Amino acid sequence: MAKIAIDPVTRIEGHLRLEVEIDGGKVKDAWASGTMWRGMELIVKNRDPREVWAILSRI
Amino acid sequence: MKEESLFESLLRRGVSRRDFMKFCTSMAATLALPTAFSAQIAEALEKKQKPYVVWLELSDCAGDSEAILRASRPTIGQLVLDVISLEYHETIMAPSGHSAEKSLQDVVKNHKGKYIAIVEGAIPLKDGGIYCTVGGRTALEIAKEVCGNAMATLAVGSCASFGGVAAAKPNPTQCVGVKEALPSATVVNLPGCPVNPENVTATVVHFLTFGALPALDKNHRPLFAYGKRIHDNCERRPHFDAGQFVKKWGDEGHRLGWCLYEVGCKGPQAYMNCPTIRYNEGTSWPVMAGHPCFACAMPQSWDALGPIYSRLPNVPGASYQATADKVGVAVVGAAAAGVAAHAIIRASTSKGKQEDK
Repeated sequence: MAKIAIDPVTRIEGHLRLEVEIDGGKVKDAWASGTMWRGMELIVKNRDPREVWAILSRI
Repeated sequence: MKEESLFESLLRRGVSRRDFMKFCTSMAATLALPTAFSAQIAEALEKKQKPYVVWLELSDCAGDSEAILRASRPTIGQLVLDVISLEYHETIMAPSGHSAEKSLQDVVKNHKGKYIAIVEGAIPLKDGGIYCTVGGRTALEIAKEVCGNAMATLAVGSCASFGGVAAAKPNPTQCVGVKEALPSATVVNLPGCPVNPENVTATVVHFLTFGALPALDKNHRPLFAYGKRIHDNCERRPHFDAGQFVKKWGDEGHRLGWCLYEVGCKGPQAYMNCPTIRYNEGTSWPVMAGHPCFACAMPQSWDALGPIYSRLPNVPGASYQATADKVGVAVVGAAAAGVAAHAIIRASTSKGKQEDK
């Protein structure tokens, strides 16, 4: 059983890691993970609702 | 084999000599240099070889990359940035995974001390920096290696400069700018949300022409771009001085292009060259489009100056408040004093952190 990891996945916006488990030339399992988190949900909590668009458009 | 100069590669891409000279003159203007310097700029760009550049994306949204890549037609400035041998940029490079990381390692190893690192995005410090990893390494580890071995680092955008939106309260991942994370690195901060590509190009051109980084302020921002207050260069300033203010979105004043101070404009506290160079190849900028400036280029702008649609208190010259706004002054006054005190505290803390010379 072999495992392949592609990190970073390029030509996309954001940070992505892919892991693939291979057995006998066939994909057995695969995982995708976003490898960056800023907590935008926590940042907009309790803020003036009128400025939330400005913050969340910067995701 | 001799590598081609910037000018040679521009010629190869169909840029005429005349356009090239126009570009050099506009760069001299952006850099606030007398036009005589355009000849010196031209001479440098004709002779200098393309510098190697790596572009790191850390805790970012790729907005600064977008600002540079998404022009409607390729400008010379864009071509200069393009022909600077961009060896690594996650969003646009062909290789992925190990081979992508190898491109980065090659530059760091083979051009140590000679390449320019451009960083987009903040560096999260919380929990050992696990909130941003690329190729299994944290943003901090990568920045330490790449910026530590670079000739200079350009922190593009407010996140790389001061933490930006990622560092807005409560700053869940303890994001900081590059200079704060790596105090010993040579960093030029080019804040703005997004950065203005003209300022990136001008900084690179200054470096190529004079062999040195432009003069910086205490926040490591080039004075040519961040030395003047938006309020002082704003095309709506005469309306401020005349006491003509937008009171409500879409009211008559708004339609007539009056001052946006009362609906929250932070121009009186913001230092950047937006009114003179504008965005998208000189097309427009927020205030011109009818939206208040929210001081995106200032440290901790999301918290230090209050919500973006609330009026900035105590702006000198806004004396009309005592008359036109008599009703409610007492109520607003108390809140405003609180906001002002908060702003001063924030400003002094960030100043303390930034001054590490």
